[in-house]
Amino acid sequence: MKKNVVFWVGVKNEKYSEKYGGWDWMDISRKTWEYWCKKHDVIFFPFEKPIDDDLTDYRINWQKSIYCFDLLDEAGIDYDQIFLADATCMIKWDTPNVFELTNHKFTAWRETDNLNWVYDSIKGYEDFFSYKLNKYDYFSSGVIIFNKTHRDIFLEFKDLYLNNVDKFVELQDKIVRKGTEQTPLNYWVQKNNVELNLDLPFSFKLTHIHRKDMFHYNWQLNEDVTPFFVKYGYIWVFNGIPKDQRTEVMSQVWGLVGYNYDDEHFLNKVIHKDKWCKTTSRKFKEDVLRIFKDRKMDNCIEIGSCRGDTTRVLAECFNKVYSFEQSSDNITYIKERCSDVDNVEISQSDVYDSNFEIPDVSVAFVDAGHSTELVKKDITRFLNKNPNMVLVFDDYGQKDKSIRNAIQESELGISRYIGEYNGFSFKRLNGEQVSLEGREGVICNL
Amino acid sequence: MKNVVFIVDITLKGSQREVGRWAETRSDPYIFCTKAWKKWCDKNDCELFVLKEEVLPHSTMPVSWQRYYIFDLLEANGIDYDQVMYVDADTIPHPDCPNVFEMSDRKFCFVHNEGSYDWILRSIENYGKYFFDGHTIPWTDYFDSGMLIFNEKHKEFFHNIIEFFHNNRENLLKVESEWHAGTDQTPVNFLTHTLNIDYKRLPYEYNMCDMFRKELLNDNMTFTDWGWIYQYNSIPNNKDDKLTFHWMEKTYNHLWKDK
Repeated sequence: MKKNVVFWVGVKNEKYSEKYGGWDWMDISRKTWEYWCKKHDVIFFPFEKPIDDDLTDYRINWQKSIYCFDLLDEAGIDYDQIFLADATCMIKWDTPNVFELTNHKFTAWRETDNLNWVYDSIKGYEDFFSYKLNKYDYFSSGVIIFNKTHRDIFLEFKDLYLNNVDKFVELQDKIVRKGTEQTPLNYWVQKNNVELNLDLPFSFKLTHIHRKDMFHYNWQLNEDVTPFFVKYGYIWVFNGIPKDQRTEVMSQVWGLVGYNYDDEHFLNKVIHKDKWCKTTSRKFKEDVLRIFKDRKMDNCIEIGSCRGDTTRVLAECFNKVYSFEQSSDNITYIKERCSDVDNVEISQSDVYDSNFEIPDVSVAFVDAGHSTELVKKDITRFLNKNPNMVLVFDDYGQKDKSIRNAIQESELGISRYIGEYNGFSFKRLNGEQVSLEGREGVICNL
Repeated sequence: MKNVVFIVDITLKGSQREVGRWAETRSDPYIFCTKAWKKWCDKNDCELFVLKEEVLPHSTMPVSWQRYYIFDLLEANGIDYDQVMYVDADTIPHPDCPNVFEMSDRKFCFVHNEGSYDWILRSIENYGKYFFDGHTIPWTDYFDSGMLIFNEKHKEFFHNIIEFFHNNRENLLKVESEWHAGTDQTPVNFLTHTLNIDYKRLPYEYNMCDMFRKELLNDNMTFTDWGWIYQYNSIPNNKDDKLTFHWMEKTYNHLWKDK
């Protein structure tokens, strides 16, 4: 059965190890791609050993392009689409399945970072190709997606190179000195009228992160120190920085985000909203974790624990979590979800019963009754118990605005917006696809 | 009925610190903008409309917000328009710049703001939190409001923008001076999405902002060989806007002087 393939390029050449500050960065890149491939049932195909050992005449960037199909054929892989990705890239753990977005076209992303470099490179190869390149379709070759229908284009590109090795090496190393196979591939693809898909957002190809000022975080709101490229990008390309610093930079990034690629990490074991509508999203849980991770001395109550997916996250943040849930079926789930922690006290009860008593807590996760009246009642009784109690709400952005109205009518100020944004879509239990109209959750009184 | 190119070129008394980009020193090079656009309009059978006076005192409404009165201004001046292109006064078109009105599909058109995403994302997050109930917008479609194309069907949209300003005036002025994360641009980006305005994104070459970052702003004038509308913003070490003057004058002389 045909499968999609990530053709990952990570050849470690000891001769250049010092120039590149070692090759540890390739191992980091590899871990991210392997994780993503497993998640999306994609074949991870590493290109680690050169076909030709003469890396002056046959640079790795050339070899990846001209031998890609040969290598896949040789390995007997029945491929559909191929994502050619350099080891300079890390892929974010929750990147969507980009193969589903290509419309089965040759998919690439415009190169717009250093346009002077692009300009010089295009001009430099113009005479060789005797072709006027449409520079607005010029793409980076570090991340491209193509498929079996492009096989001949690449095989002919191989012939072109093999028949003109000396000329290409001269242009590349002595005359143009602007890149290796990227500009020739652009010429080749355009000359052969290959239909391009250049319309996917460039969050899938975040190159020159430094030039884009995306290593920063929002120091003005100062609510989240996650660097912008991690928050907003899917594929992070560590180019445009000194080559010998790549290991250091990518190691730091791995230190920051590596746990997301660990199947044993609790965030990867609980269920998120994209899979089951009744729980919170992964982003919601990540935000809760980030905001409350230093509250180990505090206790928290959660009313409406449902199946305990968010409960497990609260257990990570607080000294003790009082979990209340009405359904006995759900209680079984909560016990299972929280079986690896000992700080969750689970109670099966109706939190609107007159016998219900609020324990001594400083944080409340309010997720039981969803009518405006019930949420208002929750707000009143929690703040009566403790006027400084921090209140966390789920479903703030749902269409009927019942939670939002309760907060507004209670004149409760919002300290933080958390979770997924407006537009995030998920399936209801009846199969209906719905979208959030506002932010998934809010925190008040923080 | 002609297409109209609209430029705001208002000079305010006071230093740049006091009146921002409309200070006398800063607006000196804008003459190259209006001269070049006049010639481009003549070539493309368009009308140039330059706003030289404030609609409202800038103490009431900063000049950058006043562009959204364009429909009232055109009507008050008896100008019968088809489509309108607003361009910032620090832009210059190439003489061969295609007639962009023909590319609009009669939608609200803009160019994505490529540049410092630290600034852009901070601006989106800050305005999102304090003015738009925690919403966000697709950041890869975030536009520079220095080049916009619109037509009569966007009248209500522009009135909504003005209304938004007046309803939030005090807070907007406060955060403008505290965050330095833009004036009208980010709120108008948000309003485009919250009001479901059908838009079309034009390629970078139709509003080439932050050219220095892309290493295009060089003495070979590479940018003039790359795209069509140049915006001279975000130039480093641009004391008293002398570099803006330098590049706009140089571009004008290179492309337009003998036209």
